[in-house]
Amino acid sequence: MDLLNNLALGFSVASSLANMAFCLIGVILGTLIGVLPGIGATATIAMLLPITFQLEPVSSLIMLAGIYYGAQYGGSTTAILINMPGESSSAVTAIDGYQMARKGRAGTALATAAIGSFFAGTVATFLVAIFAPPLTTIALKFGAAEYFSLMVMGLVMSVALAHGSVLKALAMVVLGLLLGLVGTDIYTGAPRFTLGITQYADGLNFVALAVGVFGIAEILRNLEDEHDREVMTKNINRLFPTREELRQMVGPVLRGTAVGSVLGILPGGGAILASFASYTVEKKISKHPEEFGKGALAGVAGPESANNAGAQTSFIPLLTLGIPANPVMALMIGAMIIQGIVPGPNVVTEQPALFWGIIASMWIGNLMLVVLNLPLIGLWVKLLTVPYYILFPIIMAMCSIGVYSVASNTFDLYAVAFFGLLGYLMSKLRCEPAPLLLGFVLGPLLEENLRRAMILSRGDPTTFITRPISATLLLLTAAVLVLVFLPQIRKRRDEVFTESDA
Amino acid sequence: MTMKLTRRLMLGAAMAMGLAGAASAAFPERQITLVIPFAAGGSTDVVGRIVAERMGKALGQQIVVQNVGGAGGSLGAQQVAKADADGYTILMGTVATHALNPLILKQKPYDPVADFAPVSLLVLVPNVLAVNPELPVNSVQELIDLAKKEDLSFASSGNGTPLHLSGALFNSMAGTEIAHIPYKGSGPALTDVLGNQVPIIFDNLPSASGHITSGKLKALGVTTKERAPSFPDVPAIAETLPGYETYSWNALFAPAGTPPEAIAALNKAALEAMADPEVAKRMGEFSATIVASSPDDLGKHVATEMAKWEPVVKAANVSLD
Repeated sequence: MDLLNNLALGFSVASSLANMAFCLIGVILGTLIGVLPGIGATATIAMLLPITFQLEPVSSLIMLAGIYYGAQYGGSTTAILINMPGESSSAVTAIDGYQMARKGRAGTALATAAIGSFFAGTVATFLVAIFAPPLTTIALKFGAAEYFSLMVMGLVMSVALAHGSVLKALAMVVLGLLLGLVGTDIYTGAPRFTLGITQYADGLNFVALAVGVFGIAEILRNLEDEHDREVMTKNINRLFPTREELRQMVGPVLRGTAVGSVLGILPGGGAILASFASYTVEKKISKHPEEFGKGALAGVAGPESANNAGAQTSFIPLLTLGIPANPVMALMIGAMIIQGIVPGPNVVTEQPALFWGIIASMWIGNLMLVVLNLPLIGLWVKLLTVPYYILFPIIMAMCSIGVYSVASNTFDLYAVAFFGLLGYLMSKLRCEPAPLLLGFVLGPLLEENLRRAMILSRGDPTTFITRPISATLLLLTAAVLVLVFLPQIRKRRDEVFTESDA
Repeated sequence: MTMKLTRRLMLGAAMAMGLAGAASAAFPERQITLVIPFAAGGSTDVVGRIVAERMGKALGQQIVVQNVGGAGGSLGAQQVAKADADGYTILMGTVATHALNPLILKQKPYDPVADFAPVSLLVLVPNVLAVNPELPVNSVQELIDLAKKEDLSFASSGNGTPLHLSGALFNSMAGTEIAHIPYKGSGPALTDVLGNQVPIIFDNLPSASGHITSGKLKALGVTTKERAPSFPDVPAIAETLPGYETYSWNALFAPAGTPPEAIAALNKAALEAMADPEVAKRMGEFSATIVASSPDDLGKHVATEMAKWEPVVKAANVSLD
């Protein structure tokens, strides 16, 4: 009954005219910045923060939250249309989504992403409402050892992301790990691989790397051949999925929602894993794993649902503990402090209208997104027919502005240029960029938690197997490895992994 | 070339001499950029944005906040050190940018004294020593006793931060060897202490205050010489370890060589902003103590802070390249 009362309070707050308007502004802005390649939610929220001084606390947080999940939504649009993911989560969508677009199924891919996201968003919102406090307890059980084991599992699974040779995928993961090491060692303060450049002391910028290896490389590849500019695919089929396609979507969306909801609550990298994990799951259980990487519908539906579910549930640690799960959440905390609200476990009891209002607005916002985006799909797809000599310079300019706006650091732009060339080289060598990104994201977390766990245990490595959650995760990882190396399964897996090596 | 230079110099001199009176009335003629050397959303950012908004009103010109995070605040500070010395680019300096980093960094990207003109010391922010409630200690003394018997660890927001060094100073004054576990910022450090993965934390009081009030963290002591007005029940660590004192602070700096008229105008606006009851209320909620000093006093403050931290930095053996 409490829940119903709380939700009723929440909806009464969220459905006031002013708050609906701010929610709408938020999701529209979010969609726009998501669609503009390179400009991320972090930069936008940082720029809008001063404006929120003037608003009611609940309105400003509703708007900022709208920007955040709106951007998650919009980000997949560019990933699908021009292979330009703005955030780690949409990097996975780009793998199969872009292939679908190349085959003229851009409309289907976009609709799949929108429907999957809406469903996942709805489920995750209710999870937040019902389970926020108990889920927080689970998240707090994750210490350094548990995170280390989780990252190991993530890396092992990452090899499955490849649809070329396993060796090349491993090489890309390792290269990603090395790139992730650039920056200051947080334990000793020693700079690593920074080439003496202070601007790289905090590591390479993820957006710079992603925009470079995916987007810029794609533009270079397209410019190379006058007759093969795939960005301008004109044979676009119908925009909406068929009944058959909708049926195929159900499983991946459900599984993606589950995976994303669980991983989203873990502060410190859990949400990053969501879309990668979902992709791996879908590929493993698919009857047609050979379609993955060539435009598999499940490869879009699963990860998109997972990333949206994760985006919603990552509000749990923020709202119940006042702890940010990612940079956007850190900004939201800043916004709360500016408004005179001390973030922490007391927010739920002291500010019930604020807490439940934000939760209710998430669902309203998700509904608005679907209503906004489905009719817009036709428009987005038309963007593909813009001639390349107009489209490419615009993309490059937007990317540069976006990457620069993250930290006002010109060296990030040099990084984009460098990784653009590297990405081009990789595509010539038929190496996949996705495992590289995963290595880049997980590497530093893996190292940080490994060393932290070891300091905490005073150098005793058994800490990883004596702690139950950590031990379970490592066992699961071992099980995956055993499955992979069992001979009869190996035969099938070889077919899965080498099909595009021709 | 020489001609041009001379002409510019003469023009400049003429401006400085002839227009000095007019300039003080005229500054600021356009918007001012306040560089915050940390990412948006942190405590320095919040203080900076509140002050920037109110100072802008006092000056009749908008103050635009620019976050230039990275390298523990050094990148932003370096940018202001190299900016035009006209008063239109100013820095929200902290104990990190103007005391610790210059002591810790082997390569000095800027000189905290020679490269800056002090404007005003705005606020002092206490740090706090807190533990997970499951740790069986209720006072600083009990913690010291336990630490001498058992292996304990404390979390901080990172290597070389004021919070790490608060812990290092604690270890050296109490004769304990509590191991330091650095994190990437206060948020993840707090998470692990709330989950009892690490039992002890040194944190900024504003960031920990919500958890202290709710009982999820047990505050053993604040790091300021006296108790914090927002938490009168929490003793000062100095009550157990006499002479123990650390705190974070925020102060405005302009590049060295900024005309005195501009400094005076900025200082006046800063004092006006800090005297505003609304600002005072916000700072109070934030557990920050308002100082609002003169430019000279900020200069002296920087010298005192560097002298205070030098032995701690040496004893803790922190150095970054």
